[in-house]
Amino acid sequence: MEKTINVKKIVLQNLVLLGIIVLCIVTAIVEPLFLTQDNFTNILRQFGPLSFAALGMTYVIIGGFIDLSVVGTISLVGVVTLSLIDPIGQAGALFCGLLLGTFLGFLNGVILVKFGAMTQAEVLFITYGMSSIFGAIALIYTNSETEHMSRLSNPYTIFTFIGNGKIGPFTASIILFVIALIIIEWFYRKTLWGRQIALMGGNKTAATLCGYNMKKTLVLVYTICGLFAAMGSIVLISRVTTASPVAGAGYETDAIMSVVVGGTALAGGTGSGIRTVLGVLLIILLSNCMNMLGVSTYLQTIMKGLVLVIAIWLDNRKEQQIH
Amino acid sequence: MEQKKDLILKVSGVTKRFPGVLALNNVSLEIPKGVVYGIVGENGAGKSTLMKILSGVYEKDAGTIEFDGEIIEHTTPIQALRRGLSIIYQEFNLVNTMTVGENIFLGRFSENGGMKGTHQKARELLDSIGSKIDTYSLVGDLSASEMQMVEITKALSFHSKLIIMDEPSSSLTAEELKKLGDIIVQLRGQGISIIYISHKLDEIFEYCNIVTIMRDGCVIDTKSIEELTRSDMIAKMVGRTIENEYPPRAHFAGEPLLEVRNLNTSKLHNINFTLHKGEILGLVGLVGAGRTEIIRAIYGADKVKSKELIMEGKPVTVNTPRDAKALGMGLVPEDRKQQGLILRFSVGDNITMAALSRIAKRGILNRRKEREIAKRQIENLSIKTPGAATKVLNLSGGNQQKCIVGRWLELDPKILILDEPTRGIDVGAKYEIYVLMNKIVEQGGAIIMISSELPEVLSMSNRVLTICDGRITGEFSPEEVDASVIMDKAIG
Repeated sequence: MEKTINVKKIVLQNLVLLGIIVLCIVTAIVEPLFLTQDNFTNILRQFGPLSFAALGMTYVIIGGFIDLSVVGTISLVGVVTLSLIDPIGQAGALFCGLLLGTFLGFLNGVILVKFGAMTQAEVLFITYGMSSIFGAIALIYTNSETEHMSRLSNPYTIFTFIGNGKIGPFTASIILFVIALIIIEWFYRKTLWGRQIALMGGNKTAATLCGYNMKKTLVLVYTICGLFAAMGSIVLISRVTTASPVAGAGYETDAIMSVVVGGTALAGGTGSGIRTVLGVLLIILLSNCMNMLGVSTYLQTIMKGLVLVIAIWLDNRKEQQIH
Repeated sequence: MEQKKDLILKVSGVTKRFPGVLALNNVSLEIPKGVVYGIVGENGAGKSTLMKILSGVYEKDAGTIEFDGEIIEHTTPIQALRRGLSIIYQEFNLVNTMTVGENIFLGRFSENGGMKGTHQKARELLDSIGSKIDTYSLVGDLSASEMQMVEITKALSFHSKLIIMDEPSSSLTAEELKKLGDIIVQLRGQGISIIYISHKLDEIFEYCNIVTIMRDGCVIDTKSIEELTRSDMIAKMVGRTIENEYPPRAHFAGEPLLEVRNLNTSKLHNINFTLHKGEILGLVGLVGAGRTEIIRAIYGADKVKSKELIMEGKPVTVNTPRDAKALGMGLVPEDRKQQGLILRFSVGDNITMAALSRIAKRGILNRRKEREIAKRQIENLSIKTPGAATKVLNLSGGNQQKCIVGRWLELDPKILILDEPTRGIDVGAKYEIYVLMNKIVEQGGAIIMISSELPEVLSMSNRVLTICDGRITGEFSPEEVDASVIMDKAIG
């Protein structure tokens, strides 16, 4: 009796990992090309922009909120960064891009605090509005045209490296991502500020009464999310060597999906960046496998939707088991 | 055999196990028709679990339940209702944005031939218990007592034969309670049985005919009310004798610790008082009189129009709870679940919450110290939990409350503010909280205490302030003044 419960618990807690393994085995059997070096590199390359955006989103969701503005942030940071390479050089542009993303996130946080938006629903709409604003600024800034690195006169070697460079078998973007993951997870688990994020997601009233500043914590999570969206944006423009003012479209849903599929509770309070990495991996593999198996794009979209619905259903079941 | 005919409910050998806990252990009850049947016991004794099994929220693991002569194997809440078993929870199950009539017949409008018939039927039912509530008023606009009437009427609309009332008096005023008493007598007269669950023993003695005492998932004793005394009952509930419900009052002779001057908010008017070292200061008043507002304003949790605080002779500024905590204040809020605990977090995480900022060195946490704190406070307050990693929502109310108190004790607070510290917790845990309070003041701390239970606040406080309509209306020493005089000032 006790043992079956434990097996069930372990399976339930590691459903994503299980899903990934099953997916790999099935695809590998049906399509041996799945296991080739080329495909492996292909999967790692896709790990780029989404994984950064999803990682930032993780801490917003752990804090009990949500951020739809990553779409606008990714678009705006991309076009601004690329356009700055010529006037101020590539290093300066990179730095300004990250700074801009951080500032946009900070701005989101400050606006939410000022407007007293303290529920997930309010935050949903305000960040959606912010996203539209950022996106529209990107369109105005570029005159709705896509910018190309190949037309630049200054060198852009850093970006080429981020986009295509390799260290050993790993792509540069994966290595950057792992470094970022280690730093942010350390911050979340080991520092008081990190803990305050979890307390905020758990019960912000209780945390406030215990003497923690929830307004600052809220600004912090949105700032982190902005910074990570900017990193994602830079990885994106480096990969495709262009910056489109609408490049960010769709990233918010995929990022939220990765977080939830990974097993971070939508209710807030618990979760981790590592879980999100698994979520991202599952989503990338899902589309990779379905591509290999020749599943049509529409059917793929249906599958993706199903995975999200199932993930939220499982999330709710977990919550109910607690109660 | 003959007696069996008159039973509305027969529970035999019901057992329910949750992971790690035996919530009900071979419980048997026999409830005759037309009686008020009291069930008392400390939190965690198994009362709620039993009621949830009866109403179909939980499945039993073993035993039989016979309702109105019929053996019930499986049931769901709606089936139980249709059979004639209603339960009125402490937190009402009403839709605030709908009318009284709609709430009574929620989901059953067509049975009465539409809305008009629904309101007509609702009117008849309300009249039958002598209630004058308009069936067209919104439930959200009603008082707690009126909402309860709506719940009772809803139960009657299902032709209930057994109505379970879980802590029905927790949100009622004395007068409303009397009205509830009248209705209970009337329902009994109609042959309806009532299971009355309450921590308030006075009510049990006033309304109940038979009482079952539960402890640790077992039925300890079932007796008719005449055969029981109050102290018997308490002794059986806690499993030991408690000579006194309150520990002896701690004495104090301290100098001023905190002076509150000129405190004004949108609800409070010119609040001035002084708290002394080693003192327990009680705030007495009706719900909504402004008691909670006063302490929240002092603690920096609410906006104020004006406020001057002088602590140990020096003016201090408290704009946020963070400031208050830095000055050595702690707050145990009135709503344990909404404002105090993070229910999904572990016992340990809930205990260490306030101390984190102190043990963090340059912002870096220390897991080892966190574990030490959790362990220390669990032992210190004898919190009953399988371990620090257990989720706090699995603890009983009393033990949950101790986690919050322990959270502040770890910081050795100079001023501990307790808002309804014993609400919904059982006699044994209450006593432990009282002892803790005395310990805090003996060590030179001071306590501001709010309680709706007058005997409690009068027995524990060195001094009480009466609050009415956002103003302080009097200051008394409870040892010298009669309770009725104090209550008179509090009512205004």
